[in-house]
Amino acid sequence: MKYSLLTGLLLAFVLVGCRPSQKITRINPNTTTDLSGKWNDTDARLVAEEMIADALSKPWLNQFNRNNQKPPVVIVGRVRNESMEHIETEVFTKELERSFVNSGEISVVASSEERADIRDERLDQQANASYETTKKLGQELGADFMLIGNINSIVDEAVDSRTLAVFYTVNLEFVNIQTNQKVWIGNKKIKKFIERRNYRGMP
Amino acid sequence: MNSIEFKKLGITSFFVICFFLTGCHSYILDDAQVDLRDSFTAADYQYSEELLKKFKKKDIYRSKDQVLYNLESGMIYHFSNKYDSSSFYLSNAENEIDQNYTKSVSRGVGAFLTNDNKLVYDGEPYEDVYLNAFKALNFIHLQDWEAALVETRRMTYKMEQLDIKIKGLASAFAKSDSTGKTDWETGDVNIQNSAMGHYLSTVLYAKAGDIDDARIEREKLEIALKEQANLSSGRNLVKSDLSKLQNPNSYNVLLSGFTGRAPYKVQEDARIFMDDYDDKKDDEFYLKFSFPVLKTYDSEVNYVRAVINDSITTPLDLIEQMDKVSAEVYKAKQPIIYSRALIRASTKAVGTKLISGAVREKNEFLGDLLQLLGFIAQETTEKADLRSWQTMPGQAWMKTIKLSEGINTVRIEYLGRNGRVRYFDEFEVTITPNTELELVESIYAN
Repeated sequence: MKYSLLTGLLLAFVLVGCRPSQKITRINPNTTTDLSGKWNDTDARLVAEEMIADALSKPWLNQFNRNNQKPPVVIVGRVRNESMEHIETEVFTKELERSFVNSGEISVVASSEERADIRDERLDQQANASYETTKKLGQELGADFMLIGNINSIVDEAVDSRTLAVFYTVNLEFVNIQTNQKVWIGNKKIKKFIERRNYRGMP
Repeated sequence: MNSIEFKKLGITSFFVICFFLTGCHSYILDDAQVDLRDSFTAADYQYSEELLKKFKKKDIYRSKDQVLYNLESGMIYHFSNKYDSSSFYLSNAENEIDQNYTKSVSRGVGAFLTNDNKLVYDGEPYEDVYLNAFKALNFIHLQDWEAALVETRRMTYKMEQLDIKIKGLASAFAKSDSTGKTDWETGDVNIQNSAMGHYLSTVLYAKAGDIDDARIEREKLEIALKEQANLSSGRNLVKSDLSKLQNPNSYNVLLSGFTGRAPYKVQEDARIFMDDYDDKKDDEFYLKFSFPVLKTYDSEVNYVRAVINDSITTPLDLIEQMDKVSAEVYKAKQPIIYSRALIRASTKAVGTKLISGAVREKNEFLGDLLQLLGFIAQETTEKADLRSWQTMPGQAWMKTIKLSEGINTVRIEYLGRNGRVRYFDEFEVTITPNTELELVESIYAN
């Protein structure tokens, strides 16, 4: 009896010891995974969803189509991070671009960083590509609107640091490049309440 | 002595040996930290990197000391010009400080029986603030001003929260104190602003074209400098016209020089021995408690200047006395540290007295032996937690200047009290029509 108990315990130790130190599971990208309380993919997705729906449903788009008989051309400008976290704004601006392009209602041109490589390639073609396939200079599509914006955050922390509330506000705007007129302003607010435990059992 | 008594003695001896062993690691870590500090102050960053790797391999920085390991790594890589690596380690340190808010119960019990070195090192509040300053400088070197501003904002926020955080620490101890006998009071923090954080923010906002934000930061900078002047008996920190910082066209280079060393902790011991001299061992009471005291290092540098192209000399302004700010912040936490040490030592002393007294009633020899072992255990297990960020500098000096286009030589000179140059660093700074802000950074950690 004594020996079987000892053997059982030993076996349990060995099994626990043989378990891999980390376990990896693939999960649905839409799953909410709040691990640290910081800005994460779920927040970026919520911003993108709200902004896409808002930008495509507001009157500016129909007005432009009616007046110009073509979809507006937009360029993604700078979305300034004015928060206290390092936030990769490209995660949701790319999502916006993808939805605009796929909807067919808004045309998107390459941003200033992206077009540098394209211009280099076009210049290179002038010397190295065949005459029939060489792309012409000075034929770029000029944007009608620039998407700009900012992210701000306010942190409210309890005296014992155990609870804190983080409020993010994301503003995105379409500005008419010709007239500086703002034709659309989208806003998404996210508020998180973070509770921390005072104690844990593990060392 | 019968076999049961021998068993008791064996168990007691085992615990005493355990206590000895648990205390050993903290002494090894203290020595390692001193070695690291020596190599860093000698500006031998390559050797510092090698030391870090060696210590990592030997498991000198254990899981409970990871904040310390990351802080030291972050600083060594920063001054080795490896800014990405530096930010990686400093971010790790910041995240771990945040995660260590949740305390381990088992470690807490271990620390209560031995000393605070058993606890996970969660960084001093001033370390949590200054790590952001060096992350901001990393991002300025990498020309990522938006990221640098995130860091200065975090710095400002943490400084504003310091008083709340330290009061929160007292409140957390009060909640976990089941005896309810201790009044967990803190001292006051007489500083709520980091001048270095506001200085960097002013420069970054001005260069980003946010003139209004730059003005607000400059105003906060002046408040911070007044707070610091109070800490250093009115020593005039800044002689330059700070309003110039708001004008982004008036400079294209930010000069920074770091001097001195971080404050260091030393152990102070208090011993109480009571005996009524009537030969009754029951009346003997011995108590020892150890606590860390923060000492500031007296830098040999009196002022810092820059010599441009061997012709123009300009003094750098003492923007932040990081050592004095750290000492001020630590002062607020000190009452908590003393209370903890005293309660722990009293528990050990009373425990020794009660157990040895109970055993003495049955066997006088064993009771005396237990009392002696209890005294030895108190003597060996009481050790102040001397862990702190060793490679943090003591003072930050800064100045903005405008250099002409082309290659310029900038020599940062560190002068002692006698006016002699004790050390200098020379840099070649290339200015092009597109140069908006170049950071020249130097350190003399003596």
